[in-house]
Amino acid sequence: MTVSGKNEAFDTSTLVGNYLGMYFDKEQGVRLGETTVVSRKAHALIPGKKGHVRVLTNRDAGKTYRNFVDVDQVVHIDVHHSPGEIDPRLVARHIYWGIEQHLVEIDPSLGFNEEEKNKAVLEYALRIEVVTAAGKGTVYDLSQGEVRPPDESERHATHIHILASFTSDRYLMILPVAQAAEEAILEAGLSLGKIKRIVHGKEKAKQESLAGYLILPWRKSQGDYTSVLMRENQNQLILKLAEKFASVEELEEFMESYSSNIFKRKSREEQKRKVGDLDEYLEQLQDLGLMRKGLLGPTLTNEGKQLVQYMIRHRCDIEAEIRRSIRRTPGRSRSYQRIGKSERSASHIEFTNRNKTRPLGASHWSGDIAVPETIIQARKRGLVTGDSRLTIRKEDLQVYDRKSYVPIDICLLIDASASMAGDKRHAACYLAEHLLLTGREKVGVVIFQDTKARVVVPFTRNHKYLSRGLASIRPGGFTPMADGIATAVKLITTTKVSNPLLLMITDGVPNFPLWSMDAKADAMKAAEAIARSNIRFVCIGIESNKIFLRDLVEVGKGTLYVVDDLNQNCLIDIAKYERRMASHE
Amino acid sequence: MKRYADLSRHDGNQTLFDLVEMSIAATYCGDPLHLHAEGLRGTGKTTIMRTARDILPTITRVKGCIYNCDPRRPHCPVHRDMSAEELAAVGVEEIQMPFLEISHSAKVGTVAGSIDLAKITDPSNPQAALLPGVIPQAHRGIIFLDEINRLADTSPEITDILLDVMGNKPGRLQIEEAGLPVVELPIIVSVWAASNPDEEPGPLEEVRRQLSDRFDMVFYMGRPGSVEVVADMLAKSREKEKSTVDSKVEALHAEYRRRILEIAAGYAEAELPDFLRNFIARVYIKHNLESLRAVEAIQQGTILYSLLKKRKQPTVADVIEMIPLALKHRVDGDTLVKIMNSLEARGTKESILSLKEKVGGAKGKGGVEKEEEELFVGGARRLKDIGRSELIATEKTLNPQD
Repeated sequence: MTVSGKNEAFDTSTLVGNYLGMYFDKEQGVRLGETTVVSRKAHALIPGKKGHVRVLTNRDAGKTYRNFVDVDQVVHIDVHHSPGEIDPRLVARHIYWGIEQHLVEIDPSLGFNEEEKNKAVLEYALRIEVVTAAGKGTVYDLSQGEVRPPDESERHATHIHILASFTSDRYLMILPVAQAAEEAILEAGLSLGKIKRIVHGKEKAKQESLAGYLILPWRKSQGDYTSVLMRENQNQLILKLAEKFASVEELEEFMESYSSNIFKRKSREEQKRKVGDLDEYLEQLQDLGLMRKGLLGPTLTNEGKQLVQYMIRHRCDIEAEIRRSIRRTPGRSRSYQRIGKSERSASHIEFTNRNKTRPLGASHWSGDIAVPETIIQARKRGLVTGDSRLTIRKEDLQVYDRKSYVPIDICLLIDASASMAGDKRHAACYLAEHLLLTGREKVGVVIFQDTKARVVVPFTRNHKYLSRGLASIRPGGFTPMADGIATAVKLITTTKVSNPLLLMITDGVPNFPLWSMDAKADAMKAAEAIARSNIRFVCIGIESNKIFLRDLVEVGKGTLYVVDDLNQNCLIDIAKYERRMASHE
Repeated sequence: MKRYADLSRHDGNQTLFDLVEMSIAATYCGDPLHLHAEGLRGTGKTTIMRTARDILPTITRVKGCIYNCDPRRPHCPVHRDMSAEELAAVGVEEIQMPFLEISHSAKVGTVAGSIDLAKITDPSNPQAALLPGVIPQAHRGIIFLDEINRLADTSPEITDILLDVMGNKPGRLQIEEAGLPVVELPIIVSVWAASNPDEEPGPLEEVRRQLSDRFDMVFYMGRPGSVEVVADMLAKSREKEKSTVDSKVEALHAEYRRRILEIAAGYAEAELPDFLRNFIARVYIKHNLESLRAVEAIQQGTILYSLLKKRKQPTVADVIEMIPLALKHRVDGDTLVKIMNSLEARGTKESILSLKEKVGGAKGKGGVEKEEEELFVGGARRLKDIGRSELIATEKTLNPQD
């Protein structure tokens, strides 16, 4: 769009100002005349492309150049010229004149009122900063002869860099300022530079990667960051990485295997089974500057080695941090479908609550007596009835309240067939840790893969045992569900557990039998044992296997949850819901 | 018993010392600052907080008032309705700023207040009088709760009282006891808490989110990182038996007290500069923080911290120092790091824009100029020579084929 010639009645500068405001609001930059690029963003010539300017729409000019906190406060004007130095004082003088002239043009009465005019010019002169290769300063300072040296990054040999802290009502002054800058260029004996193209773009989005937004000691280009900031960033990086790898140990193991000692390296296949998309991880670690490609595949950089050292030294803090993040309860996902409902009576554990007392009921004589409360009660009654001696009657007795809770020990039965590698495995392991860390009950883990099932973690409250056990899970092979169920039932019935809950997580259907030749029939038979043993049974599966799993939970007298995606939030949501339901029945 | 001045300071715990001193000064001014120290077993959270008793300044109260009535603003049921003359007749006294603990055997009665057992069972003159609990007795001082996550889990009733006390500044406390009129008191008290998030029942924010939000500042204790620090600590733990250093330690404590009073005096006067206030407000708006308490805490902390560091005026660096303390328990780690980075990542420092950085370095100055020269296209017309209709060109008009 161009400025149409219809509005001759309006003053050109005001018109240009209005149009600029409009484009700026659309986050756009424009070329003014042929030499000048104006925007409220950062923009610069594109290296290697003559006369091309890129406007970075995600970089506000005020924030970028002036350390402003607020956006859209600064108009960025670049007037291009042939390479060479221009005295910024010369530019400032021209701008000062230009503003003065323009103000008088708008309001001729100013021409006779020197004081008012100077005040008005000053308003602008203080808001405009000029930067050239030779120096910088506000128009006011420069016109007083004060020049500051430009920062290294600001030395532009091909354009006058003008930053104007203008609100939209001052945009009318942009055109006169640009014109004045051009005049200064010509007076300095340089020629005007032409801008041929403008492109808009974003500064490379770093956020997409695992932790690209982090500022890391070895990635900062310049500038001082406070130590607080560096520490927070470094810790966050380790947490993120450890979260991906489920534990510090596994992360360490992974990183160590890429240290330059090639003999320590584990096979790629082995790692793939565990972490899934190995290449993606490697690429991200390279992005973070922790690894580099070498002749013999990727190896750790010095920074990577340092990070490993840091992890080893701060192991216990980091592990505590990770446990803390595992404890965090995610928001409700509710993206599941529930079929069936298991009904089992649960046994309670009662204990005394010393913080609360209540009168002893009329019916029974049990409970721990709260002595001070009882005496006060008796005495209060005495005062009311006018009894001067302390006598305690049955109705005065106060006892401590009792609390009860239902312990629910959970046995996770995890499908570890080949299809579970990567995120699904990670989600299931995360669930196991979350349950252990957020509850008071024991957690056990059984997996089934290849041709048989295996108890990975017997019922425990020890987080170390649990994470060590989980780390040994390497998905692969068939889905021997029947053996899985049978093994889990055996584990539950042979261990002293209270209100057991068997939680099966699978993304498939059985394809390896146990007793007969029919994998599915065997699984059904195994499920009967669940019902017989009075175990609460919950199965989490995916839509495509719904029909088989529905039959299975019917036989096992359990509940089926069908989810779109076996992600950790969903699993936690379901497990917590089931735990709550079990304790309320 | 260790003394405050004896404790070793290192990178991992220095901030807690700072916070403790800031909180005492703020409490002295009647503007409490609630602290929560989290950390692994044996990192010294409790020790630092308990020994802070040693550096508490004195406060003036109405003589014998168990509620610590400020003579200028009496608030307790006994003194609040007295005239100035009557109060003057009662007199005033100097006491050490109260420091009380709520233990795990605490009950609602012992924390808030209950009928005085001694008075009601007095055979000669039985009367139903109120015995104020720990909270009203700690007015204008500090309450310390160890293992607050466990307390929040096992005593929801006490937690509810704390929520009220910490909800506003000043907070309020309501004492209800059958047979007595309901008493409502304004309470100015800084609550200090310690917990190990790695032990049952987990971090406070998972146990009782509201209570965790009530804390202005949360600090994660670090372990001492170097051999020297640990060796120093070991040496000091032997030293405590020798009483010869007593006067020296006492002098140090007196110096701390003097500093705290100095900070308190500065705090009463201090104002946050407008630009910093706007800066903090922007953090709230831009990052969608939930609780206004967070930004209030940042503001309060910034002023106190700048005074503690003997600065004439708070700076952006002070704000940044306070941000993790005020936000760590309120937002997740990712958000916190993003907030902090966005505050610091401004400026040309790490700008990808400067050609210098891109082509510089290896090529040096000459290289840059050459590069810039290559980008130059001559023959541009002056703005003055360009007609009105051609003045503005956009990306589209310049690249018509797209």
